[in-house]
Amino acid sequence: MARRIPHTDVLITLMGAPHASDQVTTALRLTQALLERGATVQVWTCGYATLLTQKPLGPDKPRNLADWNREYPSLATLAEELLTAHPDRLHWYGCRFCSDDRGAVDHLPQVVLRPPAGYAANVAAADKTLLMGVI
Amino acid sequence: MAGDPTDPTDGRVLAIVERGYRGALDKQFFDELYLATELHRQLGGLDVLLRGSAVGYALDAAPPPPLRIGNRTVDTLTDPRQGLRTLLGAGVRVLVEEPDIAALRSPLPLVDGVELAPAGATAARWAEYRMVVFL
Repeated sequence: MARRIPHTDVLITLMGAPHASDQVTTALRLTQALLERGATVQVWTCGYATLLTQKPLGPDKPRNLADWNREYPSLATLAEELLTAHPDRLHWYGCRFCSDDRGAVDHLPQVVLRPPAGYAANVAAADKTLLMGVI
Repeated sequence: MAGDPTDPTDGRVLAIVERGYRGALDKQFFDELYLATELHRQLGGLDVLLRGSAVGYALDAAPPPPLRIGNRTVDTLTDPRQGLRTLLGAGVRVLVEEPDIAALRSPLPLVDGVELAPAGATAARWAEYRMVVFL
């Protein structure tokens, strides 16, 4: 039976790689801003954006040689904290093909893997879709 | 020892940064300028040339404001001006290509210690460097 996708005000489809541009920063800022205004949001990651929610990233980035005791949150931590702060209004989906194709197979438990062929159902469940980046 | 081909630290290294802003949340401290600092520590004699979108780093702008993500305030975003100051403090020469910075038409001054380089002047000096790297 096909999964029912909860309705959201906005779907943010995030493609492309982190560490390449400020696109991920923009997407997370936008998600935060929408949630702060009471909107419901779903994020769908494709391509190397599926790396964002990988558990092996751990809670923090590796140590800074120039500031050894300072902690820097990993992207996985930021995604997880966004989800935890808004459990009923934020949903996170990952493309199964892109995840498998990149070995990004150890997602946070809140991430729902979806087949590429199911993307239209997510679009249909959102009032507005914003697609950022290229695969 | 100058001119010793077996000495890995002999001669200057030119590091060219053409593409800036690669992920304020993704990279945080570990941006291309942090990498340049490490290269300088290991190899010595580094010159950095900023071109393209990276010339914005040379403008003496305020540090990036913190971001709210989930219930966390992230105050460890990439700060390229601080990165440049660290490089300059370590004795690295920092150049910014003149036409690219002029195109921004910014009223902001350059970070203290950054030098303007005429178009093509650094490329004409590639042969003088032992190593040319694109960061």
